[in-house]
Amino acid sequence: MTAPQTILLVEDDGALRTLTARALRQSGFHVLTAATGAEMWITLRETPVDLIVMDIMLPGTSGLDLFRRLRRESDVPLIFVSARSSEEDRVLGLELGADDYLIKPFSTRELAARVSAVLRRGSNTNENGGDLQADGRAPDTIHFDGWQVSLARRELRTASGAIVDLTGAEFDLLITFLGYPQRVLGRERLMELSRSRIGDSSDRSIDVLVSRLRRKLQADGCEAPIVTVRGVGYMLKADVKRG
Amino acid sequence: MTARIVAIFRRWGLPERLLTVLIVVLVVDFLANSFVLERVNSFELRRDDAERIAENLVLATRTLERTPPAERDLVARTLSTPRFRLTLASPGSPIRGAMSLGNLRSQVVSIAPELGFGDLELHLEGIPDKGNIGGFVRLSDDSVMVFHTHANAAWKLTIGRIVSLVLPTLLLIALGWVLLRATLMPLQQLISASRHLGTGPPQPVPEQGPDELRSLIRALNEMQQRIHQSLVDRTQTMLAIGHDLKTPLARMRLRLDDESIGPEARDGLSKDIEEMRLLLESIQAYVESDGRSMPQERIDLAVMAETLVDTAADHGASATYHGVPSLVVKARPVSIRRALSNLIQNALHYGGNARVTVRREGGAAEIIVDDDGPGIPEDRIADALQPFVRLDAARSRDTAGMGLGLAIVRKAVAAEDGRLDLHNRPTGGLRATITLPLAES
Repeated sequence: MTAPQTILLVEDDGALRTLTARALRQSGFHVLTAATGAEMWITLRETPVDLIVMDIMLPGTSGLDLFRRLRRESDVPLIFVSARSSEEDRVLGLELGADDYLIKPFSTRELAARVSAVLRRGSNTNENGGDLQADGRAPDTIHFDGWQVSLARRELRTASGAIVDLTGAEFDLLITFLGYPQRVLGRERLMELSRSRIGDSSDRSIDVLVSRLRRKLQADGCEAPIVTVRGVGYMLKADVKRG
Repeated sequence: MTARIVAIFRRWGLPERLLTVLIVVLVVDFLANSFVLERVNSFELRRDDAERIAENLVLATRTLERTPPAERDLVARTLSTPRFRLTLASPGSPIRGAMSLGNLRSQVVSIAPELGFGDLELHLEGIPDKGNIGGFVRLSDDSVMVFHTHANAAWKLTIGRIVSLVLPTLLLIALGWVLLRATLMPLQQLISASRHLGTGPPQPVPEQGPDELRSLIRALNEMQQRIHQSLVDRTQTMLAIGHDLKTPLARMRLRLDDESIGPEARDGLSKDIEEMRLLLESIQAYVESDGRSMPQERIDLAVMAETLVDTAADHGASATYHGVPSLVVKARPVSIRRALSNLIQNALHYGGNARVTVRREGGAAEIIVDDDGPGIPEDRIADALQPFVRLDAARSRDTAGMGLGLAIVRKAVAAEDGRLDLHNRPTGGLRATITLPLAES
């Protein structure tokens, strides 16, 4: 058992700050709190943290501005908390490099699951995410076979730039395939790798997910780049390019 | 100078403009008449023409005066030629023409002085059918000889006379047309502006036209501003409520995870909080569903519909997808995804199942969501599209939401220049159809 990971919670509402901190502590994290951006800077200078959970609406500066400044100095993973489910905020937050986005109200379980997922993702990015970019961050865009995947927006686009919707599980499966191009992956392994990304999103059998994903990758008219290897599993036979 | 007159005219109201037009027409009418009368009065024929008329008249007068009254009609007819027609009128005062040819009369009398003793009258014919010059001579026994003759030179006068009659009318038509256009053109703009009132940012109508119209346009522009302001206020209020309630809701949600709360209370309260969250989200979704702040993107509509159907089916719903595997449109992905999702959820909730079809229909993309439910009473279909209207009053308790579902769909689709239609299928069940313009490739 490693030492508990440290989470910095930035939230202006006192009661919610206390409750959120308690929920995180219950889930086994070490929690520091800050009510304002200024407090956040002080804490960050004194203690190294593994993850920041930040309310997007803070008095004084907006969470997004604060985040822009933070990103210039540090790569610490960050989850936004917002009362607005506005897509604009979500996309903006994710494009600036936030790792996830949590909408109020959330339960203790949901909070813990998201935090754990981001921490886990952070720790194995280098293991299967391949090369890092010059700024030390994993690249956001992946190209394969004319298709284009944006990790931050969790979005798949055709060569002509049209958005092709994927369910959460399908997207996770695609990312898994993209991590192991030209390699045959068994069903068990695929299940394991895909599930490690986000909680329990795949409640369908891998075969159904693969066939749906394949159908969507065919939509552009050409053959889907995922092939079945009889008796073993599946393989992505496209060249994958990051960045 | 001209500019100043135009400027003054522009400031005038409708009655002033109308009065001006009428006065102009009256003045033109008067001037044209005077001019023509003057020309007619001073008109003279060439000497040989005048001599011909004088000779004809002298001969006819002398012949008729010597003919017994009973035979005069016959003689008059015999004397008539196509260029010089004679008729006899009963004694009394014959009608005098309005366009008296004074100079021509003097000319004729100077050639044949004996005609001057009788009562000779010469005038320009108003309607030139038998000739363009008419007149009469009173015979010695008081009976009247009427004559019509042609004189080529007099045709110009006849034309001038016709023009003087027609010109004011033409002028009245032209000026009236211009006046009416000047009045109605801004009115047309006003009508189209008021049709779009409240559907987007205010677009001021330029102030033009007569005075009354200018004040009307100004009033409408001010009204546009007020409506826009109140819509903005409403939106802000709704967003603020939605936003501010979420923090206490988040606190409640986390407090529920306290160990001291019994599982039964926790489940009940969780459901309540979830319902409140859905209500607040539907308000936010409704406010934002026009999606004007989001950019349009190319999206694969068929895959989007299929993905929503798959997700619903994975949760145990009876949802199926039929239609093309791929169809690209240009739209705001978030609001269109929400619109499709709302239609599918409605079909599942009220109809028990959803059959989704995406197809290319003419130059548009068509998304059809069918269910096998009871449909909507025909007279309530328009109501169903209104925000905050719920049709199932009796069942409203087990339905989350505020009656915004279809209103959100309609708003989102309208923002993409698309259309939402609802109708009951003849075989039963409701059919919702979204039509969106296709993306140009």
